[in-house]
Amino acid sequence: MTRSSSSSSLDREAVKTAIRTKVIELAKALDIDAHGLSDSDIIPATGLLDSTAILELVVWYEQTYDFPLKQEEINIDNLGSIDAMTDFLLSRKRA
Amino acid sequence: MPSPLHVPRVNNNDDSVRIVDLGVKEGDFVTRGQIIGAVETDKAVLDVPAERDGYVLKILHRTGETASVGSVLLWLGQIATERVPDQAPAMVAGETRSATGRPTAKAQEMLRELGLSAEGIPAAGERLTVVDIEAWLATQRNPARLPSSPVPAASEPTPAVSGEYVELSGEERGMLSTVLWHRDRAAAAYLDVEYDPKPWNDYAVRYGEENKLLLSPLLALLAFRLVELAKATPRVNGTIVDDRRYQYHPVNLGFTVQAGQTLYLGVVQGAQEMNAARFIDALGEVQRHAMAHKLRPAESSGATLAFSSMARWNVGRHIPVLPPCTSLIVAHAAPRTSGSAVLGASYDHRLLSGFDVVQVLQSLARPPA
Repeated sequence: MTRSSSSSSLDREAVKTAIRTKVIELAKALDIDAHGLSDSDIIPATGLLDSTAILELVVWYEQTYDFPLKQEEINIDNLGSIDAMTDFLLSRKRA
Repeated sequence: MPSPLHVPRVNNNDDSVRIVDLGVKEGDFVTRGQIIGAVETDKAVLDVPAERDGYVLKILHRTGETASVGSVLLWLGQIATERVPDQAPAMVAGETRSATGRPTAKAQEMLRELGLSAEGIPAAGERLTVVDIEAWLATQRNPARLPSSPVPAASEPTPAVSGEYVELSGEERGMLSTVLWHRDRAAAAYLDVEYDPKPWNDYAVRYGEENKLLLSPLLALLAFRLVELAKATPRVNGTIVDDRRYQYHPVNLGFTVQAGQTLYLGVVQGAQEMNAARFIDALGEVQRHAMAHKLRPAESSGATLAFSSMARWNVGRHIPVLPPCTSLIVAHAAPRTSGSAVLGASYDHRLLSGFDVVQVLQSLARPPA
């Protein structure tokens, strides 16, 4: 697992790829193929992941990017899609 | 009320012992007779059993330390949040080993079988004998089981097939303690009701959309509804201690979380003070900590009732084990192909009747108006 805590070492495309890979991995555990997921798809709405898998995705996201979240930050606007997760991470790391 | 577990004497010549193993940590629940550690001198090693059921509130000696015989090793409490007295009680004269002779071999064997310590069992002569132990047992309000009891003794024979012993992890020991409480203390029963899941699903979808939630709030809302029902029916939020009902003041909602291979019971403390939004946030935080295997002590102890769902695994119904010192754990299941869902409950029949539980489940099956 790659850990990164500074924005300078975070590449947007690499972050997107890592999130996508994790979503595909979590979906595979549910016997679901998530390769068709686009960056802007709202992940909960796709039905590819159930709530527990989304929770696993959030915990992975926090740990991988050394990015502890406040409970109120865990919402659709911030974490609903690959794009949103990437934007939220990079914006906070740069702040 | 918290009670101390004292450092036992291993032999008459040594007034201090080394703590060689402590298999519990603060927050763990232990059952009477469970070996919680061991002490040793140069001459012998002695297992230390818990003298009562309870939560480990505070540990005063660590593995490797030398401790005085009779000092407090740890404190046990009925609930995990009990306050430990500032002053350790001195051993009462006559309570110490001066009143207890060194056990004979047969007495040692009997103590081992019963999961007892010789500490505090008075000897008629110089040595503690089987007769002394039987006489002491007869004076106890809740005597330990005699070897003739049909219930298995604490020490089980090694199976005849070749194998090896593997120490349990902390989580495995916790699960074992929970199951033993369920088996040995509760009069566990189970019932369930089927219900139409659509009203609850619709309610949860609406709630999630209005609040822009990332996760479906269905299970959290069901658990919160259970908290509200416990406020309206306090009886379900209690337990039996000896022959009395112990009514909890807070509603501490336990919620099972499967994190990899480990099953946790995360706990939302003080849920009776929360509204739905705050409860969902609090539960979400507990779930995330469990998933990361970083539950804090207050998030993993003190449950007064509980909720469990196996809907994720498409289970038709499941009969959960009661968490220690609770009387009700609700079991949710929603088989994908059946079109209906199931709300079941394991309950302690010492405190709750089937009628009590059916009323709770039927109310829980309907979302708030």
